[in-house]
Amino acid sequence: MPELGRAALVVTLGLSVYALVAGAAAARLGRRRLAQSAQNALVAAFFTTVVASAVLLAALLRHDFSFTYVARTTSEALPTAYTISAFWGGQEGSLLLWLLILTGFGAAAVRLNRGWARDLIVWVVPVFAAVAVFFSFLVVAVASPFATQAAPPDGAGMTPSLQNPYMLAHPIFLYLGYVGLTVPFAFALGALLSGRVDERWLVASRRWTLFAWAALGIGQLLGAHWAYVEVGWGGYFAWDPVENAALMPWLAATAFLHSVMIQEKRGMLKVWNVLLVLLAFSLALFGTFLTRSGILNSIHSFTQSAIGPWFLAFIGLTMAVSLAFVFWRLPLLRSATKLESPISREAAFLYNNLLLLALCLAILWGVVYPMLSELVRGEAVVLGRSYYDFFLRVFGLPLLLLMGIGPLIAWRRASLRSLLTTFRWPTGVAVATGAVLLALGAGRSLPGLIAYTFSAFVAATIVMEFARGTRARRALGAESWLGAFSSLIARNRRRYGGYVVHASIVLLAIGVAGSSAFDSVTEAKLARGQSLEIGGYTLVYESLDERLAPNATEIRATLAVSRGDRDLGTLEAGKNAYTIEQQVSNEVGIRSDKLTGEDLFVIAEQIDPDGSVYFRVFVKPLVNLIWLAGLVFLLGSVVTLWPDRREQRRLVSRVSEVGVPATR
Amino acid sequence: MIALSVAAVLAVFLLYTSIAGGGNPSIAPSELAGRTGKVQLAGLVVGPVVGDAHAGGLRFKLKDIGGKAQTAVAVRYAGSVPDLFKVGRHIVVDGQLRNGTFVADPGSMITKCPSKYAPKQSGDPA
Repeated sequence: MPELGRAALVVTLGLSVYALVAGAAAARLGRRRLAQSAQNALVAAFFTTVVASAVLLAALLRHDFSFTYVARTTSEALPTAYTISAFWGGQEGSLLLWLLILTGFGAAAVRLNRGWARDLIVWVVPVFAAVAVFFSFLVVAVASPFATQAAPPDGAGMTPSLQNPYMLAHPIFLYLGYVGLTVPFAFALGALLSGRVDERWLVASRRWTLFAWAALGIGQLLGAHWAYVEVGWGGYFAWDPVENAALMPWLAATAFLHSVMIQEKRGMLKVWNVLLVLLAFSLALFGTFLTRSGILNSIHSFTQSAIGPWFLAFIGLTMAVSLAFVFWRLPLLRSATKLESPISREAAFLYNNLLLLALCLAILWGVVYPMLSELVRGEAVVLGRSYYDFFLRVFGLPLLLLMGIGPLIAWRRASLRSLLTTFRWPTGVAVATGAVLLALGAGRSLPGLIAYTFSAFVAATIVMEFARGTRARRALGAESWLGAFSSLIARNRRRYGGYVVHASIVLLAIGVAGSSAFDSVTEAKLARGQSLEIGGYTLVYESLDERLAPNATEIRATLAVSRGDRDLGTLEAGKNAYTIEQQVSNEVGIRSDKLTGEDLFVIAEQIDPDGSVYFRVFVKPLVNLIWLAGLVFLLGSVVTLWPDRREQRRLVSRVSEVGVPATR
Repeated sequence: MIALSVAAVLAVFLLYTSIAGGGNPSIAPSELAGRTGKVQLAGLVVGPVVGDAHAGGLRFKLKDIGGKAQTAVAVRYAGSVPDLFKVGRHIVVDGQLRNGTFVADPGSMITKCPSKYAPKQSGDPA
């Protein structure tokens, strides 16, 4: 069996090399049949990768410990779901997953677009193939998932913190996002290579970019929720290098999704868009490198491994080659129009891009600073939380405000007077919200107050847009309000899906501001019967129990919770002691208020032999809006991603007939 | 216009880094001797671990990860102790050296994930 897996990967490597060489030659020389053959090789590489993946999956399910990978990541007793998740739990398996998604996306994206963008596709194929060559080389020669050994009686098992439902989905979403960003990259490079730098590469890759971006966003929120409920330190995001690794390409892709609209509508920012795609893809590679190389002091680190230098070399090569192509095609990438006014939709989108990019690069600087300072000064200097928090506020808050302004301001040139009319209501709502919150005492955190005020502004613009659109549709036909509302969305999924996503970002901002700027914390050592008070809650430590679970001893402290005269029931917090793994883990107690979105979060930090417990208790207002934001984000992404033949046909005919972007 | 915005963004960045300064140097226990400033210390936990993290502080020693130098530094730590903390683990703490003991900032401890996917390291007795 391992031979079959190894052979399949060698064939994948061969097919990828062939697709690269033959594809490039065919595109250069204009050989149609050869180009078709290269395309077929890319599709075939997907199927051979499927074979290799099936072999690994079968080995995992059969507990075949003669596979080194299987023995290292699973054990006989591991539940089936986690045995499957071990596929991407380890380094070799996750590289194989990269390759699987890559070849799958590549084959699909090429097949779907070959009809109408043939001259572009012939160059996209070798780009995909080049990336596939790198990853198949890694799994063939550097980190093979099919290494074998004399089978031990049982495997080493899986770290308890990874034995968690979130770990089934979170890595998959992140990988779909990372790898998905290859598609716009391949199309951008294909456009440069073929010299067809019109908007077709954007149209062909738009949905893929959206999909990758949505998956990356959802993957991160799943990770945040996992950290919140399972890791048990009272937070959901810590600016850890590995968390930043996923955030950076997401920010770059967000900037790209916005600036694309400027290129489509006004023919501007062509170079900028190509550079953003290149940046997003490089950051996705860098993210994979960070998670897999163990170069940084991270809570996630996977220790040193052989793939690090290969990755750095590939990232360097990718950037150098792509930048050279951009430079080569610079004369073709000149803008069709110019920015006419600093107060216009184009300008607002441009500010949005600058801020997103500034935030992204500030984070990147923080991540690589320890390595740079090690090189320059001989000792690694680590930038702390305050560094990141500062830039999140300075760049993030204006970004929030722009989210309300950008979609409503006029193209080309807006007058100040028209701005006043457009934004009369939202500004009123924002000022009123700010005043009320100030009166309620929200002034103790200025960034928090600003975030709330801006959020109110953006929320008001979104509501206004939906109301205006629905009214307009109803005026057109004799539809019901509901009918008008749904046909409004169906007719312009991109726009209204975008608003829904914006609404989710508003929820996220409110949740983050509430739980970080207005939270409270207290800690105390309590003996049985003693109590503590926080944020209006009273907690009485009632009893301590020990239970035996199949794989762990569970120690739980029970607390009676009340607020004023109202009895809110009990809450359990404690620790699990895992017998075989010899690890202890915090099991936090969380009480969510469904009405206000507030959480009472209890950690039993230390349990003493005499039965007294050292508790750490947080009250986190509005934190549940963050998870709600995830659902709304998913809804908005689905709306924008929903197949829309009419729109696709319109875009296709527009760029293929006219060849230049139409202006509104 | 664009140049102005870029300049503004850059100015904010440079202003922050020059005023608030950089972060803390991250060093190994063997490099700690004689340093009085605030540092981030990354090392391998050496027992015995004694004391109470919430009363008087937890006491243990840290030595270099990778195990070239054998010098171990005494550490006092108060505050939240991560689940994964124990002898033989790699941890990171912020703090500074006072009278031969590294006094860690309360709640600054981070443990590194003991990944079972990776080959065991030379300095890791586990």
